[in-house]
Amino acid sequence: MTRYPDPKQVGGDFYSRNFAKNARPDTLILNLGPQHPSTHGVLRVLLELDGEYILRAEPVFGYLHRMHEKMGETKAWGQFMPNMGRVDYGHPLSWNWAYCGAVEKLAGIEVPERAEVIRVITHEMNRLTSHLLWWGAYILDLGAFTPIMYAFDDREHLLDLLQRPTASRLTYSYFRFGGVSKDLDEKFVEGTKAFIARFRQRLPMYKDLVTDNIILRKRVEDIGIIDQDMVTRYGATGPVARGAGLAYDLRVSEPFGVYDRFDFKVPTQTTCCSMGRYLVRMEEMEQSCRIIEQALEQLPGAEGPHLVKGAPKPQAKMPAGEAYFAVEGGRGKVGVYVVSDGSKIPYRVKLRAPGFSNLSCFAEACQGMLLADAVAVLGSLDLIIPEIDR
Amino acid sequence: MKLFDNLPIECKARADYEKTGQEWVFFFKPGVLRKAVQRLYKDGWFLEDLLALDTTDGMLLVYHFDKMSRPGRVTLKVLTSGTEPKIPTISDIYQGADWHEREVYDFHGVVFEGHPNLIPLLLPAEEDQRIEPPLLKTDKKRTGLKNLMSLYETEVCSAAVEALFTEEPAEEAPAEG
Repeated sequence: MTRYPDPKQVGGDFYSRNFAKNARPDTLILNLGPQHPSTHGVLRVLLELDGEYILRAEPVFGYLHRMHEKMGETKAWGQFMPNMGRVDYGHPLSWNWAYCGAVEKLAGIEVPERAEVIRVITHEMNRLTSHLLWWGAYILDLGAFTPIMYAFDDREHLLDLLQRPTASRLTYSYFRFGGVSKDLDEKFVEGTKAFIARFRQRLPMYKDLVTDNIILRKRVEDIGIIDQDMVTRYGATGPVARGAGLAYDLRVSEPFGVYDRFDFKVPTQTTCCSMGRYLVRMEEMEQSCRIIEQALEQLPGAEGPHLVKGAPKPQAKMPAGEAYFAVEGGRGKVGVYVVSDGSKIPYRVKLRAPGFSNLSCFAEACQGMLLADAVAVLGSLDLIIPEIDR
Repeated sequence: MKLFDNLPIECKARADYEKTGQEWVFFFKPGVLRKAVQRLYKDGWFLEDLLALDTTDGMLLVYHFDKMSRPGRVTLKVLTSGTEPKIPTISDIYQGADWHEREVYDFHGVVFEGHPNLIPLLLPAEEDQRIEPPLLKTDKKRTGLKNLMSLYETEVCSAAVEALFTEEPAEEAPAEG
């Protein structure tokens, strides 16, 4: 049976031709993206379709690749900091923290208690913005327009608050080696308390209107199964792992900063499906609120300045050695591995993006599913393409 | 850590988790890597990431493994040739390694033998647009392993690995890979 149209005549780029080599002659090869709105940026997925069923899929990415790791080898340690806000626009403070933490480990820099508490507060607020962005956009992918307006309303309040200390609204470069760049003021603290009270009233509304909505449930339940074995084989973390019943949250499993002081739960679901991952994230928003509340209470009693005395200058040299530091980002385990040869420029910076590993599950998870469901599964992985491409 | 007992270990060392983020560091020869990784998989570890490090001693492949049930990171290090780096793939044991290996192939030109689909991942893929691996160091910047990391508290260590970390100029990098 000859394929129609013949791939040799159609052409296509390298990945299309490579993908078509193993295709069955009676199937259709379809590019989902890179311009498809549900791929959140420029992810492209090559699909081999039998009717409406997916036989095989291969994500193709790199369209947003900026080579952060090379930039790390050409800038001084402190100068690389602004890059960390740009790896993942959804949860940039987790990257801030991972890089700072790795360098602090390497150079043995102490972080004052107050700075640690500020880090927790801003990190968790940023997690809320990240989850709200995901929630609005995911429901939008599935065809419901209104929720993103509600999500961005809440997110706007958070960004207004976060811009006071960080001086930016999206690509934060707020953390410094040994603390944070600016202290929190009274207006921030009052505003955050007011926001949490408001957000607590809105979360039940989201549950009633969206989470318990039969249309959403029918759409996302029991699709995109990623079980514990797959999680281990692919190294998936974050809500993908917790949606498979693994209570793996670095804030509890490998406590960093002062997270061991706070009382909060690690929500898990055992359904392994898209709805499981959805519910995990919705519950995490409530848990983040709890952490922020407790941290705000501890803030006045936390000792020390917001930045340690004698914190390294941007051009400072770091001692030779290697260090790995990982934090729990909105999408999972954000890891930074740095190697220093003792000069003022890093020898190697390796960025471990959680979305990278989470997306690699997709090809296996979507085999045999309907094309329309693939979009629902992609969204449930909470993809931020700049983070995957780095 | 008795997981790798009765495997030919080049070096086994205990690192300080507080200072380096690693609990155990192992050096293996490329031929033993797959056996070691299989044991990690059976014991429930997952692959965090893998990267290459361009040094004067050769190309160092670094594999980070972690366990969900308890903190503590295990690092596997494999030294291979700097001019023609080659190493067996682990993408059939950990499917997640597939993309990581393609990324290392992009960035450092390391060839993973047995990889089912070793094509560019992030860099231009068309044959006439491909570029040199961008993360290879220039001769001026490249330095030896002993300037980059310590050997930590070794429990077992072969003379070849120890020679890499001693201050006297080592004779030659051990012929591996």
